[in-house]
Amino acid sequence: MPSRGSNSALSLCGLSKAFGSTLAVDRLDLEVPRGSFFGFVGPNGAGKTTTLSMATGLLRPDAGTAHVMGHDVWSDTVRAKQLVGILPDGLRLFDRLTGLQLISYSGLLRGMDRTVVVERARELLGALGLEDEGGTLVVDYSAGMTKKISLACALIHAPRLLVLDEPFESVDPISTSTIRQILEGYAASGGTVILSSHVMDLVQRLCDRVAIVAAGQIRAVGTLDEVRSGMTLEERFVDLVGGQTDVGEGLAWLRSSSD
Amino acid sequence: MVALIVGLKWQLLRNGLRRSTPQLVGLILGALYGLSVLVVMVTGLIALRFAVPSDVARTAVVIGGSALTLGWAIFPVIAYGIDETLDPARFATFAVPRRDLVFGLLASSLVSVPAAVTTILGLATVITWSRSVLALLVAPVAAAVAVLTCVAVSRVTSTAFSAMSQRRRGREAVSVLVLLMAVGFGVVGSSIMKRLSTPGLLPHVADVLGWTPLGLAWSAPADIVNGAIVSGLLRLVLAVIVLGAALLAWDSLLRNALENPRGTTGDRTTTRDAGLGWFGRMPATPAGAVAARSITSWRRDPRYISSVALMLLLPLGLLLPPLSGGSKLWSLAMAPTAGFLLGWSMHNDIAYDGTAFWSHVATGVSGRADRLGRLAPTAMAASALLPGYATLGCAITGLWSLWPALFGIGLGFLLTGFGVANVMSALQPYPVPGPGENPFGAPPGSSALTVAVQAVAGTAVFVLNLPLVAIGIGALAGNVWMGWLCLALAVVLGSAALVLGTWWGARIYERRAPELLTNLSRIR
Repeated sequence: MPSRGSNSALSLCGLSKAFGSTLAVDRLDLEVPRGSFFGFVGPNGAGKTTTLSMATGLLRPDAGTAHVMGHDVWSDTVRAKQLVGILPDGLRLFDRLTGLQLISYSGLLRGMDRTVVVERARELLGALGLEDEGGTLVVDYSAGMTKKISLACALIHAPRLLVLDEPFESVDPISTSTIRQILEGYAASGGTVILSSHVMDLVQRLCDRVAIVAAGQIRAVGTLDEVRSGMTLEERFVDLVGGQTDVGEGLAWLRSSSD
Repeated sequence: MVALIVGLKWQLLRNGLRRSTPQLVGLILGALYGLSVLVVMVTGLIALRFAVPSDVARTAVVIGGSALTLGWAIFPVIAYGIDETLDPARFATFAVPRRDLVFGLLASSLVSVPAAVTTILGLATVITWSRSVLALLVAPVAAAVAVLTCVAVSRVTSTAFSAMSQRRRGREAVSVLVLLMAVGFGVVGSSIMKRLSTPGLLPHVADVLGWTPLGLAWSAPADIVNGAIVSGLLRLVLAVIVLGAALLAWDSLLRNALENPRGTTGDRTTTRDAGLGWFGRMPATPAGAVAARSITSWRRDPRYISSVALMLLLPLGLLLPPLSGGSKLWSLAMAPTAGFLLGWSMHNDIAYDGTAFWSHVATGVSGRADRLGRLAPTAMAASALLPGYATLGCAITGLWSLWPALFGIGLGFLLTGFGVANVMSALQPYPVPGPGENPFGAPPGSSALTVAVQAVAGTAVFVLNLPLVAIGIGALAGNVWMGWLCLALAVVLGSAALVLGTWWGARIYERRAPELLTNLSRIR
């Protein structure tokens, strides 16, 4: 039964998580409207992966709630998980399966019909340019191919919300553009995408809404134009997050080539 | 440059000691143990100086020395991944002249505990051979050549292996092969030792080894002591040639490693039919999918292949007493042993998934499907192995009336093992080597948990089956009906344990799936 924030695709409220004495995520609130293409950016260690894991049921929060299309991820678990497709960062895959088998596994685990699964898996392999690699073990894939196969696993059950943690990391430009096209098509047809990334330029071109997170808290959130307020996203990001960017007069020996 | 590389190794050795206090205590205890063994061996070598027929000394030193050299040659394969600190490929980006690198790496190899032990043993043999002036001159040279040969052959294997391990297939094949060799040796080793200890055979073994590259250097001083000066000097010359050959081989492998530090990626495994494999054969349900995934992993992942090989070979070890003239009754234990091993071994299955387990959490697969699906490969193996081993046991002893009891106890162990495993693997996974890592390696700092979980699971399975074992013993005493009772009870008890264990395990799983994932990412 949809309760709060049901016109949001993802709604996080007071989400907190501590690892030992470090507070990774600190009472974080976030609303991701349906149909938006949402960029989640922040420096290393800002709590992006932790937040996305708690939002998708992979990591139990210490406090706070997460709702997907109005369904509580931590009490209405089954329904919420049916609506989400996940591409996590830094977790392994069952890489002794072939590409086709891995995609099919994701579908079959969700109880989908086998003919539908195989049909969609082959279509996804084709769309991602992996049609010749469907019979290759995933362990022998390159980093970019692995990202693409993970995306296919996240898409197989036609989710309403896609949560992608660093989907473009170590992906070559051609694959990046393939993934982009698929995601843009998905968003145009009403799907919601939330992705985290370090590449500000890409987020700026791709996303219509952005949240900047640092030290486990949201520093700025809104439409792309609201957040960057006249600057480029990168400038605004550095501005908000702080830290030293001007290396000044150091490393002089590096600049004057001595020969 | 040589000094720099040696200094690097020394620094790494010292940093290795900078650990937590418990680890340091363990290290000191281990060192004390090693030291006491070393003291015993050195004392033995000194005592051999006074052995009355000097042949005893020759036999002991040549066989021991050859074994030591062989150990050096195969150790890098068994221990790969443990110490790659001075992996030559890591020097590829630095412009180190190869000659410097060869001598630097060789010298740095001498800065290690095993090398120190070998050197001390080598020096002790000098005392063993101090029976004549000429022997006293030859022995130190021979010992130096022997120690250097040890280090050089180990560099050859480690470099060759590291080159091979650029290719996943090669690395996996070798590690499974070595495991099989180790198990095979463990199984037949005792009978080999028995044969070898036949009086008068060991000197002949030493004769043969003394002319192989393994034993040349170790046997040279023995000849001198025995007055065979020419043969002794010949062995020494040959030993130097062996050392030179090892260094040359290493040099050329090193050149290869430096020129192709990453290896080329030609290592692709494409299945013959690009179809679904087991995913097309199993029922199209979540449980069927988990089953298909497990079976596929069992066929392709060396960690599973190694444990399957163990489970196949360990029951066969019970055939040794009958084969070597002992009681035939041992062979009756094969089916129960196999049942126990197969069922019990599933208690940490979830740990082998590693963080790939996230896909089970993300898809919200039911606890029942996860629990039951995982049992598929073992259940399939057991459906062939249990009747097979029961039949084999009956055939060897001729006690065919025991078949129902043997199969029954095996089945009981298997099913209760499944039940216990379904609870345990949802409760507490413990660390295992990750995919592609050395299947022998155990991640450090985990042994207490490992032992505790294994003991709890093993005890639970055993206690649950005590009634079956008791009735089985009754059947052995000659009550044929008790065998059938045993089988019937195994079906009832085993199914009950399986159903209950799966139900309970599924509840725990559904409550704790995210915590399990956190646990798995922490222990990886």
